[in-house]
Amino acid sequence: MRFMYRLEDRADGQSAGGAEPPKPILAAKQRRQLHPFFFRMGPVTLSISSVLLIGLMAILYLSQLGQAVAANQKLQDLHRQQAILQRQNQDLVDVVAQEQSPAYIDAHARLLGLVPADPKTVQVVVIPGLKPIATDNRGIQP
Amino acid sequence: MAGWGWDAVWGTPSPRWRLYDHGGTKMSIEMRRARRRQMFIFLLVCVGMLVLLGRLYYWQVLESQGGYDLARLANDEHTQDIVLDAPRGLIYDAQGHILATNVVRDDVYIEPIQFSIDHPDNFQSDLTALVTTLHQVLPTVPVDRLYRDFNLDAQAVRIAVRIDPAQSEQLHRLHLEDVFLEPRTWRIYPAQDLAAQVLGYVTQNDNDNHGVYGIESQYDALLTGKPGSFIAETDLNGNPLIVGASAEQPVRDGANLTLTIDSGIEYMVQTALAEAVQQLKGESGTVVVINARTGAVVAMAGEPTFDPNQYGNYAGQMGCLGSEEVFFNPALYCAYEPGSTMKVVTMAAALDQRLITPDTTVNDPGYINFNDAPVVTNWDHKAYGTETMTQVIEHSANVGAAYVAYDILGAARYYPYLARFGFGQPLGIDGPEEAGEYRMPGSAGWTPSDLTRQAFGQSILATPMQVAMAYQAIANGGVMMRPYLVAAVDDSGHVVTTQPQVERRVISAEAAQLLTGMLERAVTDGYARLAQIPGYSIAAKTGTSTTQGIPLDETEASLAGFIPASNPQFVILVKIDRPQQTIYGDTAAAPLWKEIAQELMWYYHVPPDQVPAT
Repeated sequence: MRFMYRLEDRADGQSAGGAEPPKPILAAKQRRQLHPFFFRMGPVTLSISSVLLIGLMAILYLSQLGQAVAANQKLQDLHRQQAILQRQNQDLVDVVAQEQSPAYIDAHARLLGLVPADPKTVQVVVIPGLKPIATDNRGIQP
Repeated sequence: MAGWGWDAVWGTPSPRWRLYDHGGTKMSIEMRRARRRQMFIFLLVCVGMLVLLGRLYYWQVLESQGGYDLARLANDEHTQDIVLDAPRGLIYDAQGHILATNVVRDDVYIEPIQFSIDHPDNFQSDLTALVTTLHQVLPTVPVDRLYRDFNLDAQAVRIAVRIDPAQSEQLHRLHLEDVFLEPRTWRIYPAQDLAAQVLGYVTQNDNDNHGVYGIESQYDALLTGKPGSFIAETDLNGNPLIVGASAEQPVRDGANLTLTIDSGIEYMVQTALAEAVQQLKGESGTVVVINARTGAVVAMAGEPTFDPNQYGNYAGQMGCLGSEEVFFNPALYCAYEPGSTMKVVTMAAALDQRLITPDTTVNDPGYINFNDAPVVTNWDHKAYGTETMTQVIEHSANVGAAYVAYDILGAARYYPYLARFGFGQPLGIDGPEEAGEYRMPGSAGWTPSDLTRQAFGQSILATPMQVAMAYQAIANGGVMMRPYLVAAVDDSGHVVTTQPQVERRVISAEAAQLLTGMLERAVTDGYARLAQIPGYSIAAKTGTSTTQGIPLDETEASLAGFIPASNPQFVILVKIDRPQQTIYGDTAAAPLWKEIAQELMWYYHVPPDQVPAT
């Protein structure tokens, strides 16, 4: 079957084999429909294939979208959990700081019956011949 | 079958429409009517299209030029621009204990308009049920107020602020309709009033949280950090679609500060000061403890003080002898006439210029006359006869000090030393401060009387910190350090540690040594003997200052000095304002000075430098 025509064939209006040639536009349409790439496919087959292809793509897209939505939900939950944990952490830091504060320790030590040490009761032991520590000229680093 | 066509020409009056089929057959009347209806509809559609085009032109061209940003409004419907607050930096003490931190607490809001829309039929009964539930969870919110708020014509009304975590949890679990929680970050000071006047506080307004007073104010920009933003599309519920298109500007956390303040010492100092002020029936008081070598502030306390967690409760309360609000740090703001503690500066100027020695003598008949200044008398009106400069310090004699300032030094050689010791100028410590002031030749109103009186601490205003730093210079061999409160700044892992800085040499090391010896004698043989601690050498000087215009028994009793004198570690200044039980520096301030010094030696394991008398 021939679908291509030489220019001289068209110029004299006669076909090479003597048969009535198809109109050029119709021939082009046929080529596009039946020879999309490298194989022939009828219109029905092409339609079914297209529907199947689109369906497949839709399934793929929807599954991806579903995964994205699920991931988004999971991320949101994680963000929420993170905010809660940060809040709890801040509260715990505050509690630790309160319980480390001198006023708290003082009050609880007194509740336990402890009394503050009196520096006046410190006994200084003099050791003869000991190198005097007072020569140590380092400042105390607060 | 051939299709229908028409070759009518607009405006042809008769026949109106000559309709033919393709074969030229005349159309029926019915068909012509149908065609007219179609034409009518077509025209209507055209008119509608024209209206729509006009409207489109109006919105897209005219309104957009007027700044009506439709695209932004449309985007706002499905995008969310969330401001991510930067957490304010924490403040630590020198031992790593937290002095200031942050917590998140919820505010409770109701939606009155939405509630009335949601409950058109059973409004009253549903409202009663909701109010009852809310009042059970939030008993501090009165029922009447809840009813009133629900009847307001408002989108949202806040009914409770900073509720407890347990209450938040309870409300979350209840899922109450038209009630929502809004989290808000609050600045918390776990140690309550500890070092409150050093720290300051942070205002807790809805949209404006900034540091006020103290370190919170001075380092506000560093502590605040930089807020970030998160722009994302949202789902139907308004939740951001994190996996979709989004843009995030990361938060830059506020820098953490480590202070030189030691909580343990600060607490001891603050507690002891409060007890002393109460016991002496004083009006207020100040204590400063400085590292003698570095200039680092170890403790700084004022009484009365405040709790920065409840700063609103202290509005209007005054400290610093009623001149400033209680929020001001009196060590930096409360300038006073230092009294006899200034005699050390007078002696330092003369010793440094080798105009006197500790053994230089002066005849002290109890008063001294000047040609161009009023007579100066000793505070106790005693005549000490011939006395050495060391004895002038021991006796705290005004006559000897005025003699040195006026007759030996003179204005030209005295005032430069006031400037060298930092009087009348800010110290540059981390925080706002008062500079103090004094008159000098050239300034308005100066007379020689100012010179004679400044010699023993009158006619000059200095802050407790300035006086303490003058003693620090003497303790540090004549070298004044720059005082500092912030030991380190941790800005997102980039740590900058403050190194001790020499401010200037004030007097020679020799003069400082001589002066230290004179001050030691003031403790062993002079009025500061109540500050003695067995085993430790102490260099200190008392001060009892009065202010012109008020009764003489309303004094500011103080004691400034350092310990151990042989190897100074700490400079301590104690000041009690208007004590009533006893009004003098030796009896009012010295016992507290001793208590603090003793605790310091114990706390930092500073060994005694003297063999105690057996």
